[in-house]
Amino acid sequence: MPRLGWQRHIAAVIVALACTIAAAVALTFPPLSGRVVDQANIISADVRSAIEVKLGDLEAKSGIQLVVATVASLEGQEIEPYANELFRHWQLGQKDKNNGVLLLVAPKEHRVRIEVGYGLEGTLTDALSKVIITNAITPRFKDGDFSGGISRGVDDIITALTTDASEWQARPALRLDFQPTDKMINLLIAFIVIAIITGMIISPGFRWFMLNVMIDILLSAATSGSSSSSGGGGGFSGGGGSSGGGGASGSW
Amino acid sequence: MTSSSLSRLRAGLIAVLLGLTVSACGYNTIPTAEEQAKAKWADVQNNYQRRADLIPNLVATVQGFAKQEREVLTGVVEARAKATQVKIDVSQLSDPEKLKQFQDAQNQLSGALGRLLAVSERYPELKSNQNFLALQSQLEGTENRIAVARRDYIEAVRVYNTTLKTFPGLLWAATFFRNNKPMAEFAANEGAQTPPQVKF
Repeated sequence: MPRLGWQRHIAAVIVALACTIAAAVALTFPPLSGRVVDQANIISADVRSAIEVKLGDLEAKSGIQLVVATVASLEGQEIEPYANELFRHWQLGQKDKNNGVLLLVAPKEHRVRIEVGYGLEGTLTDALSKVIITNAITPRFKDGDFSGGISRGVDDIITALTTDASEWQARPALRLDFQPTDKMINLLIAFIVIAIITGMIISPGFRWFMLNVMIDILLSAATSGSSSSSGGGGGFSGGGGSSGGGGASGSW
Repeated sequence: MTSSSLSRLRAGLIAVLLGLTVSACGYNTIPTAEEQAKAKWADVQNNYQRRADLIPNLVATVQGFAKQEREVLTGVVEARAKATQVKIDVSQLSDPEKLKQFQDAQNQLSGALGRLLAVSERYPELKSNQNFLALQSQLEGTENRIAVARRDYIEAVRVYNTTLKTFPGLLWAATFFRNNKPMAEFAANEGAQTPPQVKF
């Protein structure tokens, strides 16, 4: 029994490893080189720079990361899972708000999708995404006007996201309300330090506890520190947001 | 140094060592993976519920244009009633029977919905109705969310089950977490790889 048991476990490890590798090589994504990633090369230069300015403005105003991507191929995948995995790979939107949107165009497969991050599902609904695709995007794509369709689609998405302004305009005010003053923070820190020192003087048990805590903190900082460097490179990068498949798709 | 302070030192050292070993050797991995899988299951169930919530409105809209399709319409209503009855508590996730029941009920509802949408193709007025179009895109979006949630759940279960069966989780599973059973795997059949297409 023990021998067979260990063999089974080894087999399980191998299977698990194989799964991870299979999942990792399943799809190859273009790098997130900017707000417009035109791998399929279908957007004209002037439209592209105009869109980039609009997308930059949107993020500066509302924090929403809207990215336009065109891919040469979906690699045999349907556009829905491809868009979701690409969205998560790029981590569009802020981590705590999940306020990213991806407009994905696959000219080879004649498919287009608006993938909406968790945090914007209530603003840019599935029905609204569908309306934008069928009214603004696909009619122009049918005539071969990719630049025009994408440009109009971006305009409509931005309108949809910013018209309900009450949602994002209210946020800075809320944040200000809850900002404690420096004095309060200093007082709080002083209080905690005094409490810890007193505890360490009075109780030897507490002393050991604190030592333990400190070593644990150091250890976890050492192990997690290496993995915390994200994106970088000085350019544009995702903010850690995720998507659960909201949005809509269309074809032409 | 007195003997009492020496023994205190020794006890402290042991406490530190124990704390370090327990957290460094993955004592937390099993509960973390378990909670993760449970949370993902909640997402799956919520998205199915969201689909069920869309149906009364959809049925009412179709009924307005295609009353004569009574059989298809009642089929959807009945399948929805059955599907909403089968709920899985997070503690039952290790029961493959229960999971299969849930799956079967939802698949039946998917089938009934597919028939309803196929039938609605025959009614041009219905097809161009704004309300119907909005409902259809919501349904399409929900089907896609279900697919994503299922994929996430399958992955979370795979991680949890692997933790239970591999070193060092294996040791913790055999000692402190003896009651933790592997979770039943969702058959990655229809809908898991490609979301069912709602054509219109």
